[in-house]
Amino acid sequence: MGRFTYQTLTNHFLEDSAKSFPDKVALIHEDVRATYGQINAKANQLARSLINQGVTKGDRVALILENCLEYVISYYGVTKAGGVVAPLNTDLKPDGLRPLLGELTPKVVISSSRFERILKATDLSTFKVQALLLRDPKLKWSFALFPVLPLDDLISDEESSNLGIQIEESALASIIYTSGSTGKPKGVMLSHCNIVSNTHSICQYLYLTEKDIQMVVLPFFYVMGKSLLNTHFAVGGAIVINNKFAFPATVIKQMADEEVTGFSGVPSTYAYLLHRSPLVDYRGKLDSLRYCSQAGGHMSRRIKEELQRSLPEHTEIFIMYGATEASARLTYVEPGRFEDKMDSIGKPIPGVTLRVLDEKGQEVFIGQTGEFVAAGSNIMQGYWKQPKATRSVLDQDGYHTGDLGFQDREGYFYVTGRKDNLVKVGGHRINPQEIEDVFMATGLVLEAVVLGIPDELLGQRLVAVVVPRGEECSEKEILNRCAQRLPKHKLPGKVKLVRALPKSTSGKIERNMCFELIKLQSSTIPGS
Amino acid sequence: MSEVREIIRVFIVENFLFGNEDGLGDETSFLDEGIIDSTGILELVNFCEEEFSITVEDDELVPENLDSINNVVAYLQRKAA
Repeated sequence: MGRFTYQTLTNHFLEDSAKSFPDKVALIHEDVRATYGQINAKANQLARSLINQGVTKGDRVALILENCLEYVISYYGVTKAGGVVAPLNTDLKPDGLRPLLGELTPKVVISSSRFERILKATDLSTFKVQALLLRDPKLKWSFALFPVLPLDDLISDEESSNLGIQIEESALASIIYTSGSTGKPKGVMLSHCNIVSNTHSICQYLYLTEKDIQMVVLPFFYVMGKSLLNTHFAVGGAIVINNKFAFPATVIKQMADEEVTGFSGVPSTYAYLLHRSPLVDYRGKLDSLRYCSQAGGHMSRRIKEELQRSLPEHTEIFIMYGATEASARLTYVEPGRFEDKMDSIGKPIPGVTLRVLDEKGQEVFIGQTGEFVAAGSNIMQGYWKQPKATRSVLDQDGYHTGDLGFQDREGYFYVTGRKDNLVKVGGHRINPQEIEDVFMATGLVLEAVVLGIPDELLGQRLVAVVVPRGEECSEKEILNRCAQRLPKHKLPGKVKLVRALPKSTSGKIERNMCFELIKLQSSTIPGS
Repeated sequence: MSEVREIIRVFIVENFLFGNEDGLGDETSFLDEGIIDSTGILELVNFCEEEFSITVEDDELVPENLDSINNVVAYLQRKAA
């Protein structure tokens, strides 16, 4: 851990590893194999170009890029120049991009040919963008009111040494927009200190070293993807980028071929992997796979158990919990307690304290339910240009996660639901997560979401939207199975069978869009 | 097979491109062009299984079989052989 002493800024992860392991392969993506020395040199060249374009300390630079070498060069290059990296969701269309760009007012936007049409339709000139840097541009930009420059041209200068710009640890390093699955997206402001402290904690509990090789299928714009990049670069490990998780067989094969040591995903990643991949057939070929980690929301017990059965015996499972507002991570379950603490999110990671508070801000007793409130040097600075939203979650106690749960006698935390997801049916306050778990436990469904929709009589009533495992499975059969485990008031009155649940690019289920799905079906199917 | 090609094209255009088929060539990669994500691939697989009465095995879920209209048509041809 000694080398971490020299890492106080986000860009130090790369600079430190480039110094210690200049010729070591840091990134693998299709035919690309880039060393730390090469990536650091390119990031330095980009930083100089950004400064030439007028980027100064604190200026925002928006990234609209798929996972690739250029993303990594840009991410570190911007921070080297003293800028603030704002990676945006690559799924956004012009209507979604405009409010974020209006809020960020980025001086420069870095993107690729894949997004050229969307960028043209967005009209970047209205946001005072001073330059657009494009990887492999294909369209004509002759009428643009700002320079449009090929990224390759800006990372081929001769001067490639570190810049050594003085940047405070407390300076902003990144603004990451939360997925906005509930409400308006918010830009989470993370300082260098936030990211560096959290990165070091994660390296510590995952025992990461320069021998680790991570398979990355999560997007870097998502906080968990970002932390995979930072943690592995902090220790001099390597990342394998595979953007084809839609074809899981190719991912599993590459994991075996590249002797990957770590794989990370959100619940839907594992649901998909277990349902439609040759994971079990590859058990004997994943000798190097040291661990799998899961975060990004509650994963049902059934999937956890199935995952354990499907992985090689030597592969450990880390269940983790966090938030964008916490730079990524807050707690984890050590693999040795995976089985007996299966429903837990674990204990706080080094440097984090987590408490369960009631509505008055008082700490509750062991076993009692309250809101999780986190403190530590990883907690965000606030939401970008949204002081009201910031005040609603940050106070002297720390960051109010909005997650409800309790702590057991051994200090393990358990999430029981979201403060804003509770459904009130008649006089009962119902936690959808509990019902979703029952649906999953039937073994008949692949994914399930339980929602409360307005009802004149009850205030709200429950509707489940589920993806059945097999075609022959009916709504009635699923409900009958659930009725054996649920009291009547917790049994959804209706079950909608769908082929897939709407998800964000990072794989999280979009609850808002599930509501739309019900509305849509209700309006098109008479009598439903 | 031109009928199969048309069936696949219509499915992609109606379900993922909201009726606008601009830029969708027979060789266009669904993933690289952001037309379909992993959820969409499953929908495509379900559609193929139902429409053409086939079973897509887990190890057949690879880009060579499913990542463009041409690839899907060729895959269905192989399955029918």
